[in-house]
Amino acid sequence: MPALLDLDEHIRRLARPEALPGGGECLMLSMEATLELARSLGRSRTKHLPLARVELAALNLGIAPERYLRNFSTYSYAEQARLLSSRLALVGLGGLGGLVLELLARAGVGQISAADGDEFAPSNLNRQLLCTRRSICGYKAAAAAARVALVNPAVAFEPVAVFLDEELMGRFLTGAELAVDALGGLNDRPALLRQAAAAGIPLVTAAVAGQAGFVATVLPGAKGPADFFGSEENGAAENTLGTPAPAVATAAAIMAAEAINILAGRKPGLAGAMLVFDLETMSFERVSL
Amino acid sequence: MHVALKCFATLSRFTPPDAEAFAVAPGETAGGLAERLGIPMADLKLVFVNGEHVELTAQLKDGDRVGLFPAVGGG
Repeated sequence: MPALLDLDEHIRRLARPEALPGGGECLMLSMEATLELARSLGRSRTKHLPLARVELAALNLGIAPERYLRNFSTYSYAEQARLLSSRLALVGLGGLGGLVLELLARAGVGQISAADGDEFAPSNLNRQLLCTRRSICGYKAAAAAARVALVNPAVAFEPVAVFLDEELMGRFLTGAELAVDALGGLNDRPALLRQAAAAGIPLVTAAVAGQAGFVATVLPGAKGPADFFGSEENGAAENTLGTPAPAVATAAAIMAAEAINILAGRKPGLAGAMLVFDLETMSFERVSL
Repeated sequence: MHVALKCFATLSRFTPPDAEAFAVAPGETAGGLAERLGIPMADLKLVFVNGEHVELTAQLKDGDRVGLFPAVGGG
């Protein structure tokens, strides 16, 4: 196994100039070279997978791993490296969770734990990215693990095929920098809000009903949407309006963008606020809670 | 005086035809407005006026943008 200095040397040697569409050029490490170096590293005792170690080392040298090329300059090399070193806890792998996972795995969030005890049912097919004719009846967590491995094997993904009660939520959030609430229904959301506050980490939350929905960021100790909504007994809007794909995907994309803001070390855009949208009238409004 | 009214999700069926410029009485509260629209109070979870979350007792002013939101939990 080459020592760390050797790894830097290998990366410098294999990096190639790449013309940027906006003019100028950057040094790039091709995906092939990244994979080859990762194979030569083998497993180590660090928290990062070999592929992530190579990508991190390249970014630290100012060399862009090819798979993240089209993120520059939206995310700086330092921010991309920070994403690769970050740890996210995602609760729910249904409509919101599957799409959030897809976007964050592609963005290169280095460590993702995701929990959902559910199995796919035919009624999930209208919106859930991970639900296909092949994955149906299987665990959502298993389909998620397979998808992450296909999309970005630099992500250390921990699937948890368990419905988390409040105590398990607390344990699940340990060590994470950010919690994402991609639950369905109202009943479990207040517990996740409490446990994220107890863990001292921000929570990105969202929900949809019909063409409408919201995304919000709750800082530890602050009130979140779930504090106002009550329980399922009084009925939630999605029980009559359903959860069509465009609203779910809109909310998931905003959640992923906000998660990246936070994990990359930027200011959250929705702290103490909700972005409420209605795709029928195409209205978006940011409101403070 | 008039407010611009937006009813979200299941509350959209209570939207009056003149929601863009809905007449309100001086001193009318957000809760009073919702009641006049026939919205069951148990279904109204969040009220926003001009982008700020307010209580049902908040008095409305001419030109306010009022958003009414039910419990939403789908994912």
